[in-house]
Parts: sequence; structure tokens; C-alpha cells
Amino acid sequence: METQTQTRTYAASLDVLEPIRELLTQTGQEVGLNKKQTYGLCLAVDEIATNVIRHGYDEAGITDGKFDLIIEKNGNQLAVTIVDDGRPFNPLEHILPTEEDLSMPLEERAIGGLGVMMARQSVDEFNYEFSENHNRNIFIVKFSNEIEE
Amino acid sequence: MSFTVSSEIVNKVAILSLGGSLDSSSASVFQAEIQKVAGESPTEMVLQVSELTFMASAGLRMIVFAKQKLGPSVQIYLVKPQDQIIDTLQMTGFIHSVHIVDKYPV
Repeated sequence: METQTQTRTYAASLDVLEPIRELLTQTGQEVGLNKKQTYGLCLAVDEIATNVIRHGYDEAGITDGKFDLIIEKNGNQLAVTIVDDGRPFNPLEHILPTEEDLSMPLEERAIGGLGVMMARQSVDEFNYEFSENHNRNIFIVKFSNEIEE
Repeated sequence: MSFTVSSEIVNKVAILSLGGSLDSSSASVFQAEIQKVAGESPTEMVLQVSELTFMASAGLRMIVFAKQKLGPSVQIYLVKPQDQIIDTLQMTGFIHSVHIVDKYPV
């Protein structure tokens, strides 16, 4: 099956979040994702890209960081991969908030982990790989199946 | 769409109108507006969010910030959030800590 791939490179700056969402929204519309799927993809990529920029580059003292966004359409799935060479971070090993954490009154809540949880829950599949000194955060949305509400 | 926020205080109620995309790059603008209205010691906070098209976890953090800044007794209302934002509030349990309403006053 033919795979269509496009790659874009972004500076590791929070200013790029909006153009990335615009690109993903346009791509989602082109391949026929519904509104909920497109939003979920934008949200997931936004959360992880924020972590890459903030923690992978800024806090690691890397000032001129860049990362790639690879969009691949293959059959009935869309895969988006963030490839960066910032500090290694595996979101799958991140401790997620528990049910108890999520039911705490807001003013008492520890707020860590929400972004990673939202990212993982907003796409059909989320994967992480580390190879050749690069983090690869992979988001997959399948567009033949109805997403459960 | 870039983020916009404006605020007013009406009868001790802080009303903030949000539009566009609230992400980690725009959250500080929202935070500054929360700090501004907090100085007036409002009794309730109303977020007009029908024009808010995107909200990342950075936006949720600002809701927590508002609750901490204004005090636990100050209720927070979200007026007409879009479906995807309601999904986020549900996923994160925030839906139990704010009031989702179609209009304010309720």
C-alpha cells in the first residue's frame, strides 16, 4: 500500500504549537478524520511537543533545538511522529494521575502528568521509541472506524 | 486561531471572555488576566468560553491557579464550552470541580 509522507522541521519554541495544529487540522480534514479525531490528534501532539520544547530542550539548556514532525498516511491510518534529539523522555513510563488524584478538589491537586495522560488518551495508539539518540513520539489515528464516545 | 482574553467585574463577579486557542504559549496571558481580577476579590468567576476552540493542559493549570488564587469558596462557571473541551474536562475530572452552564446568571 502506498504511503504518503511529509516531514517538516520546527524550532523548539512554543510559538510553533499553533502552526503545527493548523497543519494537523488541515491534514485531518484532507484524510477525512472527524472533528473529534482531529482535535484529539492536535491535543496529543500539542501536549507532547510542549514537553519536548520545555523539558527536552529548554530545561536541558539546549537553546537552538529543532524537531521534526513526520506525517504518514498509510491505508486507513494517519501516523504523526515527533522526532527530537533533546533529553530522552519516555511518556509511557510517566506516572499518570490516579482516579483519586483526578477527583481531588482543584485547589489541592498536584497538576503533573495531566498533559501526558491527555496525549495518550486522545489518539488511538501512542508509542514511544528511543533510537540513535532521538526520541520518537508516535501518534496513530485510524479513520475507518468510529471512535467510541 | 490566536488566544484572546478580556475581563470585567460586575457586582463582584469576575467575567472573563476567552477565544481562540489556549495552549502553553498563551497560558501566561490568561494567567495575567486572572491575577488582575483576583485583585478585586470576586465572589464568583465566570469564563465565557463559547469562542474557545482549543484548550491544552496548560489551560487546566490556569483553572487550578484561579482556584488557588481566588480561594476554594469561589465557584468557577464555564459558559458554553465546545464539545471537545467538555471531553477534556471529563477526561481529567475537572468537570466535577467547575460548573458547566449554558448562560450566566444560571
